[in-house]
Amino acid sequence: MTDRLDPKNWRPAIAVHEYRFDNGLKLLVLPNGSLPIASFQVHYGVGSRNERQGITGISHLFEHMMFRGSKELGPEEFARIIQAKGGEVNAFTTQDSTSYFENIPADQLELVVRLEADRLKNLDLTPESFASEREVVRSERKLRSVDSPFGLPLELLFATAYTQHSYQWPVIGWDSDLVAMTHADCLDYYRTYYNPANMVVVVAGAVDPEQAKDLVQKYFGDIPSQGPPPPVHTVEPPQRGERRAIFKKVSQVEAFLAGFHVPALANPDIYPVMLLAAALGMGKASRCYQKLVRPGRAIEVDIDLSPPPFTTQDPGLLIVLGVVPPGQPVAALEAAVWEEIAAVQTKGLEEAELARVKKLLRSQTVRVLANNFYRGLLAGLLYLKTGRFDGINDLLANYEQVTLEQVQTAAQKYLTADNRTVVVVQPVSPEENEALGPVS
Amino acid sequence: MAPRDDFLPEIYAHTLANGLRLVGLEYSRTPWVNITFMAKRGAEADPAGKGGTADCLAECLTVGTQHRDQLALALAVEGRGAMLQAHGSWDHTTITLEGLAEDFPELMALLAEIVLEPGFPEEEFLLLRERRRAELQHALDDPREVANRTYLPLFFGDSPYGHPVDGSPESLAGLQLEDLRSFFQTQVHPQECSLVIVGMVPQAQALATTQQFWSTWRSPLAPAPAFQDAPQTLAQPGIYLLDRPDLTQSEIRCGHLGPPRSTPDFFALRLVNYILGGGGFSSRLMMRIRAEKGLTYGIRSQFHCRRAPGPFIISTFTPAEHTATMIQEIKNVMTEVKETAGTAAELADAQSYYVGSFPLGLETPGGLAQQIKNIELYNLGLDYLSLYRPRILAVDQSAAQAAAQKYLYPEELVILVVGPAARCRLELEKIGRVTLLPAG
Repeated sequence: MTDRLDPKNWRPAIAVHEYRFDNGLKLLVLPNGSLPIASFQVHYGVGSRNERQGITGISHLFEHMMFRGSKELGPEEFARIIQAKGGEVNAFTTQDSTSYFENIPADQLELVVRLEADRLKNLDLTPESFASEREVVRSERKLRSVDSPFGLPLELLFATAYTQHSYQWPVIGWDSDLVAMTHADCLDYYRTYYNPANMVVVVAGAVDPEQAKDLVQKYFGDIPSQGPPPPVHTVEPPQRGERRAIFKKVSQVEAFLAGFHVPALANPDIYPVMLLAAALGMGKASRCYQKLVRPGRAIEVDIDLSPPPFTTQDPGLLIVLGVVPPGQPVAALEAAVWEEIAAVQTKGLEEAELARVKKLLRSQTVRVLANNFYRGLLAGLLYLKTGRFDGINDLLANYEQVTLEQVQTAAQKYLTADNRTVVVVQPVSPEENEALGPVS
Repeated sequence: MAPRDDFLPEIYAHTLANGLRLVGLEYSRTPWVNITFMAKRGAEADPAGKGGTADCLAECLTVGTQHRDQLALALAVEGRGAMLQAHGSWDHTTITLEGLAEDFPELMALLAEIVLEPGFPEEEFLLLRERRRAELQHALDDPREVANRTYLPLFFGDSPYGHPVDGSPESLAGLQLEDLRSFFQTQVHPQECSLVIVGMVPQAQALATTQQFWSTWRSPLAPAPAFQDAPQTLAQPGIYLLDRPDLTQSEIRCGHLGPPRSTPDFFALRLVNYILGGGGFSSRLMMRIRAEKGLTYGIRSQFHCRRAPGPFIISTFTPAEHTATMIQEIKNVMTEVKETAGTAAELADAQSYYVGSFPLGLETPGGLAQQIKNIELYNLGLDYLSLYRPRILAVDQSAAQAAAQKYLYPEELVILVVGPAARCRLELEKIGRVTLLPAG
């Protein structure tokens, strides 16, 4: 057997080269030369978390505006130029961050560094393109939230679970805020959040770290910094009792969504919760699949907690989605899910069960490390949200170290009735739906 | 200048005495292995009125063997942190087991047991059939699903591509375990199957393990002929409206028949489609309809090239009041591209996109396995990857123009609108004959 094909010789440690520039900009380089490709990423430390009532959704709308041209480039020309060199271009906005990326042939690195710096320095924010892009985003909102099966109930879940913190509104924003938002709001937002002190640049792939540093210095080094933007101070207080809400819509099925407040990404308590969520809902051997989905009591029981680096910066929600077959009531399913949680609270997991979910999470982590894009996201987003990028090499150990007691304690501490919010989806006829007023 | 190709993976292929082909490559970037069993028959071979047979068979194989029940099987897979996925698709059915390369011998033994020693457990079949029926009922809550599922039978009628691959609540109602057994016996034959292995596994080990577990497989019947004819009857061109008063947007599908995968015009057509609607912001549909007019968040076109002639489909959505405008714009853009196939610069950009982005598809075991499956399924040749970029570059403007002329028919579109009729029907009737489809 050749050495390179022996799994025993694989070393998971990822080398990360860190550079800091005079204007506050940070650069992380993750060299990996096995294919002539690279992922270039620019992560800004701003998402819907930094917004306020009246301009909800501005982070995501602004992400769209970054493609609408600079002093040199016309609308969407940025994407066209890079695609024409074989690059894949996109961006995404979350509660905590806004990320732009180009996955490219490695010899096109200078082009994308230059163009990313150009749109940061020279964005052409015209009132006309703002008005047009606002309608594109409203169409996206209709697609993802309004006309989707559980989009609006999910928004209601966050709006009910959070009373003070900005996670209470959706990343895409409320429709009325999208309508009322102005071109001036966008300019103000741009000046506040898009600056070198509030971002991290990542290059992962077949690149020389020093050469990457020189390119970033050349194109980003002269961008002045206004210093870091105002921090988010608001803290969601502990929930003191279950909250429930009903959402009526035309639907073939009854369903419920539940959210439990759980720790933030930087809190090591999140790892026992991850393993707990996996034991409850990941795979066909999981408790909820075996007890509820397989025997036909549910079409779906999804236990969702985003893994690093997508876990939220401030304490987020572990979300349960339970869907029953048409014609069945959802209340019994909800009670059955709470019983499964109670069983872990009183008896904990079996040893073999914990070993299984540890191996599942380990293998899923190894799997994504094949990809420069994901390696870059891990380093960049961990850095942005926790201030440390070396967490990228702790992930496997973080799962491995968790004990049976820690999982049971996590279930007792976080998955309590007092800490949960439940939204029940109640089907109505098209006529009743009409009478309840418009959705937007 | 010829593109560099020192990074191209070396694909190996072996044919066992029973006709089963092993095709794979050695992958050294992460200790992962992807093993896919592919039968070259799929949903097109579903018996008439029993749409979903191949897809149900695929899942049924994963819920019990002659030696293990569903739970023991799930524990064997997930206890190794592996993932088991099974699908019936057009022209093929796959069972994929992927996991850590250290477990390769056990994973290979498991996959062989799943495929060659199926348990066909009656109880599990009935449970999965009822769960799938409920899921398909619930799919009516998602307008995109409704549009996709309505379009195929509308367009293809009774021909083999004329149903969703996972069937409908009605087709599953009549499905029996015997139908799955029969499909397996008549459609899954070693001479028409391939095993694809991409991972940190030396070729010699892959071959030895394949021979160990798969060489004794025999089928008493001759392989069933593959479907490769053009459909006999298609829907009349025009607008078909499915009223959904609860929606805010219209989901739109516009299509006509395209060529099979074996067409010599494949590469020219790929480039023309990039210019029309397959190239994101580099395509005319996206530029005209999203960037200039703000009518939608997304629009794309695709030739679904299969063994038999498949559909060409443009998919989009728009706020209901813009439905007629959208359809008119789509026809205008299609007409432009049919007449000119775009400019020389657009063709050059499309070519450099496919040439430059080519190595991005070779990064992960999953991406590579997809490439090999495609090569096997459509007999593209083991040199397909090395010839891909030269073939893209060999398309000149006249070949692109000829392909656009030959394969685009803006006046023959079968157009499906799923949306609120009260807000779009009058405008639609001004641009063409509208047939109202019965609800449900």
